[in-house]
Amino acid sequence: MQKEDLYDQLQALQKAQETQLHQLIGMQDDLAKVLEENSELKIENTHLRARLQELEGANGKDDDTQRLSKSRQNLEKLYEQGFHVCTYMYGSRRENNEPCAFCLDVIYGQHQL
Amino acid sequence: MKFSISRSQFIKTLNDVQRAIASKATIPILTGLKIAVSETGVTLTGSDADISIEATITQSDEKAQLLIEEPGNIVLPARFFGEIVKRLPEDQMTLTVGEGFQTTITSGTSSFNLNGLDANGYPHLPEIDAENKLTLPADILKQIISQTVIAVSNQESRPILTGVHILVKDNQLLAVATDSHRLSQRKLEINNGQGLEYDVIIPGKSLTELSKIITDDLEEVDLRITENQVLFTAGPIKFYSRLLEGNYPDTDRLIPHDATTTIEFNTQKLLASVERASLLSHASQNNVVRLVLDPEAKEGTIYSNSPELGNVQESLAFENLTGEKLDISFNPDYMKDALRSFGPTDIKVAFTSALRPFTLVPSEDEENFIQLITPVRTF
Repeated sequence: MQKEDLYDQLQALQKAQETQLHQLIGMQDDLAKVLEENSELKIENTHLRARLQELEGANGKDDDTQRLSKSRQNLEKLYEQGFHVCTYMYGSRRENNEPCAFCLDVIYGQHQL
Repeated sequence: MKFSISRSQFIKTLNDVQRAIASKATIPILTGLKIAVSETGVTLTGSDADISIEATITQSDEKAQLLIEEPGNIVLPARFFGEIVKRLPEDQMTLTVGEGFQTTITSGTSSFNLNGLDANGYPHLPEIDAENKLTLPADILKQIISQTVIAVSNQESRPILTGVHILVKDNQLLAVATDSHRLSQRKLEINNGQGLEYDVIIPGKSLTELSKIITDDLEEVDLRITENQVLFTAGPIKFYSRLLEGNYPDTDRLIPHDATTTIEFNTQKLLASVERASLLSHASQNNVVRLVLDPEAKEGTIYSNSPELGNVQESLAFENLTGEKLDISFNPDYMKDALRSFGPTDIKVAFTSALRPFTLVPSEDEENFIQLITPVRTF
């Protein structure tokens, strides 16, 4: 009698776990989709902003980031994400968010890219 | 081979030479000390393949009381030999090499027997017969070294940045070091350059060792450079170092020439403030302090905070703040190293923007010494 009870309990537990697993997988997929959509929207947003700036033309403010060319903005983004963009260590991680003078020169320097 | 010598003088020279001897070496004989006795003097040599130091005690040096009975060469285990010499009882010691490199060291009633090695197995020091030499005042060379080695990288992943870039051209010597986070550059006019031109990278470690053997009583140091070696001659000591191979990155373009905000500080006062602020920044994960300068309100404030411990805020003492408002964050340790290298003086700090490196120069000599620090981004 007790043994059967135990077995039933185990089976119930197994079912519960299975549903939980399915839920977990489902949620993971949903999260991935949301993240994907989020980054797509982010890119879309930056594009729209760039377009808006283009339309507004010279009316817009002239601060530091806006003076950068597209390619330099990309490098800046990579740098902010924690990667070197200088010729000497291109692509390697910046440990502990260490600053790099060579990268900054590449991004903000006076020379032409 | 046999000679006797005053122990105190011998120990002094031995200490200098031992700086080059590593306790572990790829070539076993390099853990040894080479003693070469000629008719006129005793030459000690130590080397770790990167650095070699050779020092000579001559018979004309009265303090050394050198008495040479028989010339010869021997290599002795440096660590044990050094310990033995330091603990001998009398001031006079005698060293005799007998059959099979058996070496006897006697002083007073004490007598040591050491197994030596054949000196013919000791690597030859690089031959530097360059006629051209550069003579630098010893104290200035020491100053240049201490000002630049602070910015040398200690990461072996980028070997070229572990050295100091020395550029000699048009009667000017330029020493630059950077680890890509900060940069230190020193210029020096030289009047005996005779049109010499060099472009070499000397390992920072070598320079640190070199500055330890440059004593205050020395007046000048000669510098000879060949393709892959540099030789410093400091009095009776010859210091050889390997040069680093490769091209040093172009550092000129890192130094900004125009500034949007400038301010002047007394180094000691600013150093004390930064040290206080760094007490908390060291406790936080990203070791940064924040500096806010407001020229209109004539205010300069330094902030630091650690989420767990708390925060600090301090109004700075400064002079001549001009330009735009600025809010910048940086690693206080770089700032501390840079400020210490100036000594007690006034400095001018020039900022271009919160994102670009800023420079520190002495107020009285803006041309010849510059420190650059790269800010940290905080969002």
